[in-house]
Amino acid sequence: MNAFYLINLLVYAAVDAMACLGLSQQFGVAGVTNFGFIIFQAAGGYAAAVLALPHDSANGGFQSYIGGLNLPFPLPWIGAAVVGGLIAVPFTFLVGRRLRGDFAAVGLLVTAVLLNLLVTNYRPLLNGSAGLSLIPTPLHGDNVFSVQTAGYQWVFTVAAIVLALAVYVFVRRITGSPYGRSLRAMRDNDVVADSLGKNLLSLRTAMLVTGGAIAGLSGGILVTYITTWSPAAWGYAETVVLFAAVIIGGAGNHLGAILGAILVPVGFEEITRFIPTSNSLPPNLIPSLQWVAIGLLIVIFLWLRPQGILPERKRVIRLPAARAPAARMAAPPGGAAAAAVPSPRPPAPQAHEQPPAAPQDRPVVLETVDVTREFGGVQAVAGVSIQVRKGTLTGLIGPNGAGKSTLLAMLAGTLPVTSGKIIYEGRDITGVPAFRRARLGLVRTFQLASEFKRLTVMENLLSAVPGNRGDTFRGSLLGKRYWQADETAAIARAEAILERFGLEQFANHYAGDLSGGQRRLVEIMRALMAEPATLLLDEPMAGVHPNLARRIGNELVALCEEGMTILMVEHELAIMDEFCDPVVVMAEGAVLAEGTMEQLRGRSEVVEAYLVG
Amino acid sequence: MTIFLSSLGFGLVTASVLAIAAVGFTLQFGVTDVLNLAYGAIMIAGAFVAYVVNQAGLSVWVGLVVAVIACSLGSVLLNSGVYTPFQRRGTSPITLVIVSLGMTLIIEFGVQALAGGTAVSYTMSQGTTFHAGGLILSVVQLVVIALSIVVMLGVHGLLRYTRLGKAMRATAANKSLARNCGIRTDRVITITWALTGGLCGLAGVVFAMDSGSFDATATDLFLILILAAVFLGGPGQAYGAMLGAVVIGLATEISAAYITADYKYVVAFVALLIMLGVRPTGLLGARA
Amino acid sequence: MSAELALPGLPLRAEKVTAGYGGDPVIRDITLSADPGEVVSLVGPNGSGKSTLLKSMAGVVHVSSGTVRVGDRDLTNWAPEEIARAAVGYVPQVDDIFSPLSVRENLEMGGYLLRRSQVAGRVERVLAIFPRLGVMLSRSAGKLSGGERKMLAMGRVLMLDPGLFLLDEPTANLAPIVATALLTEHVRQLADSGAAVLIVEQRAKAVLAISDRSYVLGGGEVRMQGTPAELSGRPDFVESFLGGRGAAAAPSGDA
Repeated sequence: MNAFYLINLLVYAAVDAMACLGLSQQFGVAGVTNFGFIIFQAAGGYAAAVLALPHDSANGGFQSYIGGLNLPFPLPWIGAAVVGGLIAVPFTFLVGRRLRGDFAAVGLLVTAVLLNLLVTNYRPLLNGSAGLSLIPTPLHGDNVFSVQTAGYQWVFTVAAIVLALAVYVFVRRITGSPYGRSLRAMRDNDVVADSLGKNLLSLRTAMLVTGGAIAGLSGGILVTYITTWSPAAWGYAETVVLFAAVIIGGAGNHLGAILGAILVPVGFEEITRFIPTSNSLPPNLIPSLQWVAIGLLIVIFLWLRPQGILPERKRVIRLPAARAPAARMAAPPGGAAAAAVPSPRPPAPQAHEQPPAAPQDRPVVLETVDVTREFGGVQAVAGVSIQVRKGTLTGLIGPNGAGKSTLLAMLAGTLPVTSGKIIYEGRDITGVPAFRRARLGLVRTFQLASEFKRLTVMENLLSAVPGNRGDTFRGSLLGKRYWQADETAAIARAEAILERFGLEQFANHYAGDLSGGQRRLVEIMRALMAEPATLLLDEPMAGVHPNLARRIGNELVALCEEGMTILMVEHELAIMDEFCDPVVVMAEGAVLAEGTMEQLRGRSEVVEAYLVG
Repeated sequence: MTIFLSSLGFGLVTASVLAIAAVGFTLQFGVTDVLNLAYGAIMIAGAFVAYVVNQAGLSVWVGLVVAVIACSLGSVLLNSGVYTPFQRRGTSPITLVIVSLGMTLIIEFGVQALAGGTAVSYTMSQGTTFHAGGLILSVVQLVVIALSIVVMLGVHGLLRYTRLGKAMRATAANKSLARNCGIRTDRVITITWALTGGLCGLAGVVFAMDSGSFDATATDLFLILILAAVFLGGPGQAYGAMLGAVVIGLATEISAAYITADYKYVVAFVALLIMLGVRPTGLLGARA
Repeated sequence: MSAELALPGLPLRAEKVTAGYGGDPVIRDITLSADPGEVVSLVGPNGSGKSTLLKSMAGVVHVSSGTVRVGDRDLTNWAPEEIARAAVGYVPQVDDIFSPLSVRENLEMGGYLLRRSQVAGRVERVLAIFPRLGVMLSRSAGKLSGGERKMLAMGRVLMLDPGLFLLDEPTANLAPIVATALLTEHVRQLADSGAAVLIVEQRAKAVLAISDRSYVLGGGEVRMQGTPAELSGRPDFVESFLGGRGAAAAPSGDA
């Protein structure tokens, strides 16, 4: 086999693999669908070119472009990665908006076409449609290597492959860390991830910049190999090819991304070499059929095997082997985690020195001051002022449309307040976004199914743990050694909670595979893993077997005795009876009464509200 | 002034082609909730069907009729065979966009594989040119404008006065409630795709006539003009699409006269991005 | 003013209906009936399955076992449009009008199945029942107030002249006075004109006042049934709404 043919193949494979890894990280792992992806590679390519080229007037004068700094290797490649990452920043505005997913996708696609059009037509920028050529190859000036030799080419190839492997290690490290888990959680359900303390904007920006830098680097390498770069190389179709590669190879699996890169961009090019050319065939036939085939593969794969050839691996977390009972009681390493390990059984209440204060005498932990929520002319919540006291299991009931869930959403920060204030632990948090409230210890659960479906039960629980050192971008890069201790501590806590609620054998099942009642439990357990000081539960018993509901109720009471404050919206009034004190009744957006269920049943306006509606 | 008037003339023709195309696209979206990005590909397929008929010796106007029928059938197949099964499965809107991009590749490059990559044109006479108050338009261009007006009136009549049109509007507004009124929405959706598919074919042929020469990739940029017109007026709003087509069509051609012609599409693209960012429901749509 | 029915009322017989949204069933083995001239109400606490039951009879929710018969036809799992064509009028709780269309067009959509010549007359009859709608015929339905919306939703279904009405919380989000008026003046009239009416309501007291019979649902099953007099006489009636020792009786045999 011709050496230059093999070199060509390997360089393209490395470049495409790198680009696909960047896309896999953005799209497959973090769920950021960026249809303008090719722009990053293009930007990197142009950056490397204008950094490496001499000034345009010096270069024969027939090309016109910005830059021309004639920088030596490896600066053009570094510049390519940097520019690729920087170009991503304006994209965060397009991606972060509250726009319908498909509309946003179209917007990004249009942006890619628009930029292509601008570069094509505004010649002084990057030499327009003719593009840049005569781009200097790395180390061309030194007489160490003569560019034309096979030796030089092989060194270049190895460098490209090494960089591609480095990118692979890089993205694997990110994805395998607690930070990567948070990214996947955001992908699976961004609203819930937000409520558990994940800063979505920061995560998405990080992914866009990272993917951009990787794509930029791939562009830089490609450009210095083929020594030319023009708008024809990066139309919107190129983005479609990359998406096809990632989808076919397996979105969310980095080996799948590499496989996809080999099969699609590289594979298609290579196959054409083996098709015999014939003068009777129209010249455009093979390239056209290539595109048709790519289109067919996209549709067929999305229909038959949307997870790709190499689907995302399930991350099984091996639990420590059977522990001696003594070890279970010992405090696991890692400061804050120890205090919140729940004991296997609710503690006997005799541990207190004094009898616990009556509910109405305890300090107020969370209160609303004349809070109103108006939308579309309807007042879902009208001037509600409630106080939730420390260590109580407070119930919130009322007929349909009373505004209970709306009030809870406003307390959690999921919905904005139209007027009024929310005060938490003495602080006005009315304007504080949901993820920050979670970090302050105010955590909510959701009414409808909201588990992270493509994460295991254990991963669902671990995703909620605050303060894990591996849950930052920097932490993920520093590797396992840096965050293993925090992770082990979190796993121990998760294990204990799983046992407490009886779901330990499901630890490594996908959360989406569990039954309805089990998923409800996962939701509650996950919220507990977030170390809440105050827990907001939205109908936690809905669809749950009465025996299980009773067990959950007992656990909640135990948690309150340990100092947690819980506000619970529920319809099952028997639960309120047994566990909640006080209970707040709402009707038609306002608070009607407060007291124990016994007291409330005796009040005619409460009975009226329920029967009259 | 003459520059303005001649560009106005071009603008009217572009707006006419755009109006036919945009109305079809927006009605498809309204009734199925799918952004059919393969619309441009079907347009050019229709243009080539007419070309084949034309090359066989028949008038291009006969080819136009054949193209309309072909694209109508093709669009129904596309929706029933591809989009609907994916939707029934609960596929997310973004994935549907990727599916429609895949279909675009299949159709557009399928046409290119069959027809070759070189640009072709219809064998037809442009007819005499008319001068009217500074505007210079050929017979064919006038026919295109007239066709567009006929289509607009036809769509208006359909939606406002016929039972089918009302069923279409009800299905687009609230599909489940439409079913509770006894409307057979599956049938309505199929008929909608048949009609809009026909509009797509018509748009493709008049686009090709207006362009002079065309190849399989000719509608790539035009699709974005269609999207701009649709989003300007509000996705799903037929009258919005008509309004959007006029604005975008005139804006691109008139700006081309004053800025370099290369940038004329930029105006439309920027308008689209602004609408997506600021008011995705369009100028005529309800507040989100 | 009562609307003379063109069609006779249709009796409803649901037998052992079990239905849900895929996964565990929400309602189990429900048997109920409603005859022409009757207002039959479905009441009960939230999550008891009232809406799901109604939806399963309107073709919106899949019935996994049991039958739904209307008149002499088995309509189980028919498509909603075919059920409508069988003269069954369903008013959903939400998304109950065509927001982008005008009031007049909403009514005309309701009369989709009518012959062209009948539409105008039917609209007149509906406007006689809801005169308020008459002054806003060209207003966009999305701009109506809560009460006006519900009137329009009722008006829309009246255009069909159904023999059986399935009403899902028609008074939701209405002020009590308006709600009572809707129930006593309009819903009661539907039955008095000969149709069968099955109505789901949160406002148990108000709807019992106009009902001939009622079913109290809980946990997806029928807990009690009878005439309003029988039910309000029972000590466990109030408890079934507000919990308490009596109603805490768990659903039987729940594994």
